[in-house]
Amino acid sequence: MNPLKKYLFNERNGNGHALGPIQEIDVPMRRFGEEEVDYVVIGVGSAGGVLLQRLARAGFRVLGLEAGPFWNTERDWVSDEAGSHNLYWEQLRITGGTHPLALGANNSGRGVGGGSVHWAAFTPRLHPSDFRIHSEDGVGIDWPMTYEELKPYYEQLELEMPVAGPAYYPWGDPHGYAYGPHPMGGAGDVLIQGCTKLGIGVSIGGPVAILSGSHGDRQHCIYRGFCIQACKVGAKASTLITHVPDALRSGAEIRDDSMVSRIHVNKENRVTGVSYFDVHGQEHFQRAKAVIVSGYAIETPRLLLNSACPGHENGLANSSDTVGRYLMAQAGNVVLGRFHDLVRIYKAPPAHALTEEFYETDSKRDFARGFAIQTVGPLPIAFAKQMMTAKGAWGWGLRRIMMDYNHWAAIALLGEILPWPENRVQLAEAKDRFGIPVAKVTFGLHDNDEKLIEFGKNKVIEVMGAAGAEEVVQETRFAHLVGAARMGTDPRTSVVDKYGRTHDVANLFVCDGSILPTQGSANPGLTIQALAARTGDYLIAQGESIFNTNHRDMMQPAIRRDLAPPGTYGRGVPRLANLTS
Amino acid sequence: MDKAKMQRLELQRVVEMERPGQSLESEGLDAIEAVDEHLREGRFQRGLALLSGASSLLTGLEVGYEHYRGSYSRRVMYTPVALSLLLVAGAAAGFMSRRGARRVLRPIAALTLADGVLGFYFHLRGIARKPGGWRFPMTNMVMGPPVFAPLLFGISAYLGLIASYLRREDDADHPADDIAWIPRAAHEHHWTKALPGKRISKPETITLSQDLREGKFQKHMALAAAFAAFFSGFEAFYSHYKNNFRYKAQWTPVVLSPMLIAACIAAMRNRKPAHTWLPALSAAAVVDGGVGFFYHARGIFRRPGGRKHLLYNVLYGPPILAPLLFSACGMLGLLASLMRRES
Amino acid sequence: MKGRTSVQPGYYPGFSTLGQQANWDEATRATVLKRVARSLELHFFTPEEAPLIEAIFEHILPQIDRDEKYRIPIVPVVDERLHTNRLDGYRYENMPPDQEAYRLGMQAIEEIARGKDGRGFLELTPLEQDKLLRTLHDGKPEGAHHIWERMPVHRFWMLMVQDAAEAYYAHPYAWDEIGFGGPAYPRAYMRLERGEAEPWEVEEQRYEWEAPEDSVSDIYELISGHDLHQATPGQGGTH
Repeated sequence: MNPLKKYLFNERNGNGHALGPIQEIDVPMRRFGEEEVDYVVIGVGSAGGVLLQRLARAGFRVLGLEAGPFWNTERDWVSDEAGSHNLYWEQLRITGGTHPLALGANNSGRGVGGGSVHWAAFTPRLHPSDFRIHSEDGVGIDWPMTYEELKPYYEQLELEMPVAGPAYYPWGDPHGYAYGPHPMGGAGDVLIQGCTKLGIGVSIGGPVAILSGSHGDRQHCIYRGFCIQACKVGAKASTLITHVPDALRSGAEIRDDSMVSRIHVNKENRVTGVSYFDVHGQEHFQRAKAVIVSGYAIETPRLLLNSACPGHENGLANSSDTVGRYLMAQAGNVVLGRFHDLVRIYKAPPAHALTEEFYETDSKRDFARGFAIQTVGPLPIAFAKQMMTAKGAWGWGLRRIMMDYNHWAAIALLGEILPWPENRVQLAEAKDRFGIPVAKVTFGLHDNDEKLIEFGKNKVIEVMGAAGAEEVVQETRFAHLVGAARMGTDPRTSVVDKYGRTHDVANLFVCDGSILPTQGSANPGLTIQALAARTGDYLIAQGESIFNTNHRDMMQPAIRRDLAPPGTYGRGVPRLANLTS
Repeated sequence: MDKAKMQRLELQRVVEMERPGQSLESEGLDAIEAVDEHLREGRFQRGLALLSGASSLLTGLEVGYEHYRGSYSRRVMYTPVALSLLLVAGAAAGFMSRRGARRVLRPIAALTLADGVLGFYFHLRGIARKPGGWRFPMTNMVMGPPVFAPLLFGISAYLGLIASYLRREDDADHPADDIAWIPRAAHEHHWTKALPGKRISKPETITLSQDLREGKFQKHMALAAAFAAFFSGFEAFYSHYKNNFRYKAQWTPVVLSPMLIAACIAAMRNRKPAHTWLPALSAAAVVDGGVGFFYHARGIFRRPGGRKHLLYNVLYGPPILAPLLFSACGMLGLLASLMRRES
Repeated sequence: MKGRTSVQPGYYPGFSTLGQQANWDEATRATVLKRVARSLELHFFTPEEAPLIEAIFEHILPQIDRDEKYRIPIVPVVDERLHTNRLDGYRYENMPPDQEAYRLGMQAIEEIARGKDGRGFLELTPLEQDKLLRTLHDGKPEGAHHIWERMPVHRFWMLMVQDAAEAYYAHPYAWDEIGFGGPAYPRAYMRLERGEAEPWEVEEQRYEWEAPEDSVSDIYELISGHDLHQATPGQGGTH
């Protein structure tokens, strides 16, 4: 190729598997065949991607089984709302309860990278108080770990993604971000305007796992607003581009289009491997010395329940009857405001400003815990659906309001809903195309949740009004999913310990959003990846003993910063916190 | 006798020599004329060092926050920040002493100039690496790294470099008198090879160097002003284009800079425009930059969150220092108009 | 229809997202162009059902103000989804599968129409049709209660409006109508704030827009009789 042309247009060689305009995977993937591997990781999403990378880098033989495809970002992803439905878990699930959750597009991914492919990439940390809400507020349950135990992993993952945000973030445990904040779009300006008017603090331009500078072969954000349709630019972090390439280079294998149907346990109560269906519907058995389930809050409990066997009649690792229980979603009411002037909300990432001013329990309010307010950026179809519930619009009315699309801005509540045993995942009668029973999700709100949503919703409406909206409407909805295989110290009330090891089976682990005992009002993505890196360090520190013994060593492992993907360090703004510690 | 008094006497002597019968005290105008005299004779090392230091401080601040916007995602992005601070120190050294100007200011300025060129390379490459690269030149220049900013940054280094070759304000009139500091053979200095007279023979290099010392480099300075006006004007064009020229005033730097460039070129060809068009348009640019600074500051305060989120709004509001850099281009033009032409 | 008569309704005269396709990536261009040139053949709905479902969607998302050539296919899109059994990832526990829901819903609508004076839905005047559908929107259907016992009326209503919105607002002609910039890769935006138009976008030019007089859907109210949360259709994620 003409060198000047190459320099000016930066054309990719085009030989490898594209992971962005420039980035590509150029290594052939290792193939283990059916031989026994050290670890099988079920689900290569936010947690699975990080785990594969850590374990492979430490020299383990690891295999990732992913139900969806291994994306080629240039070929498979489109800059189009309707054309991106295949990023979501579209297979059948049954939803019910007093407040049925909408599933699929809203909250679960499919394909390598999982939900991190279509998240909006807000990455706030949990607050220290989130780890002990039962001690402090008498609600929910305490975590089996403290904020301080997780903090080094928050800092580590914020570098690995990396996270862009303000130099000083005031809420929770105050900290700063390695990458600078982003410029604002219309929705961000509305949130800032409204908050400033009401004297509410607001964090501008982050924290989001979207690049505000180049990062090796990954590019600076181009503010096209299609974050949740997957980032073709490679600016938004997903484990597909942040951790999977290094996992493969370090010798991991990922088998895509492989749907795991069952985990097998032998008479000694140790996991021996998993059964899975390949893309042709052919069933295979894969032997493994240990298994990690990273299927997220619905598929993880579904798999454990479907793996019931003698000795585990209620489902694998379910002696406590907590598998599937304590499922949580966050309150995600969207408040829409019409402005006299144009907004054009489709520009800039949906995630770019937020406030956590109301995050903590306030004794002046009649409920425990709190909420955050964040920007959102509905594209036309999402906006039309919001208008049909928020305003009951249809027919000519829908056409009319959609013609005003560019006048509307949207911001949203992100409120903590507490864990309740009756909010759960069970097995339905219906089966998927492999004959595996699908999940049935039951969800309902309790008094504290409803009071929190009412107060929070009104606060967001107040902010929208203060920003100068002429008309304000709101749509009730939920965001994110966590819980359903929660961690804890007591085997009678939890599924896994604080390293993700199931209480019942010594070489079976769960590591994903489902192990969160409570959720706070922070988007869960960063916490999930931080927990995965921590579990990775634990497994690496334990070494062969995971494969050979049932001994449970609860020693906190030292953080292995040296196992980070190459290029993690030496970029971004040096932060005072890092220099002093 | 203290130094200041000596300077005064020296100034008095110059004035009397040029305009017999007039004293230094007679009018303030005379003091200006004295400065003018210094410029004409190349005796303004301190002044130019000061100008270089001030503009370097501006560019240093600007590049500091502009690169923060780019998150310092490459370590090389720290170099212009560090170098511009060093250049401020170098300029201070040059202001203090001749030795400082030659031993400190000169190498720092040369290094900074090289860094500006390197930065230009990286910025071009940065735009190329954005999705679509140079196939979408406007979008990617507006949203990518500012293409000419590194070269604009190089201008203040360039001023420092020039300053290091000048005579000082308190030097004697005739070059022969201060033989002590004159570079014996200017061609020993490699930087001269980078000057426009790159391919000229050694004696001519000596002439250029000699001209510099004697303040005879009007054409040269006009060329520098033209380049600066081009860089700054172009930056103004696409950043105001980004804003869709919402205010009519946003056209002024875009219109003024080509005019200033034309005046600079005319001044290089001809003596007359150097004393008419060049100073007039340069002064207009200085004023326009000042007005721009006011509007940019107002724009920052008017952003959502205004003064409550001042730091963020400085970061992403209208670039507060950019209009002052446009003013600096005008200053260069004014400086050029006051100089003598190359022999 | 008052206001302007043109091939393109909306406040952005002459705006064409398709005209920008040279700035899109290959995969996106292929996806969008396929949508514009899609086949109108039906596989799920039978030829007998087709006129009824067409008539219903002509009220759910009317487009008689559009030039024939620039109408956006809705029924073929819904038909394909039902035919290939593409789901949104979930089904409400009190709802039958989508395919069955559509058949039941059409049956109910026809029954309600005939229940009044024996005329079928297709024989009603446009205003009568609009009013009948409005009773479903309001959650107060006047008949076919045996069907609504098997399937909550508001869920069926949401299913239809959602499907219609997904088909209509996925189309570049609809983007032109509402002033949405369309695909934005590799060329994206540079004017992010204050609703400023990109150089290739069109400034808004408002005019008085009125729905036809023989319709009732322009005056909409919140769906009554149900808690809001029950109406939540579960749209594509916004956060």
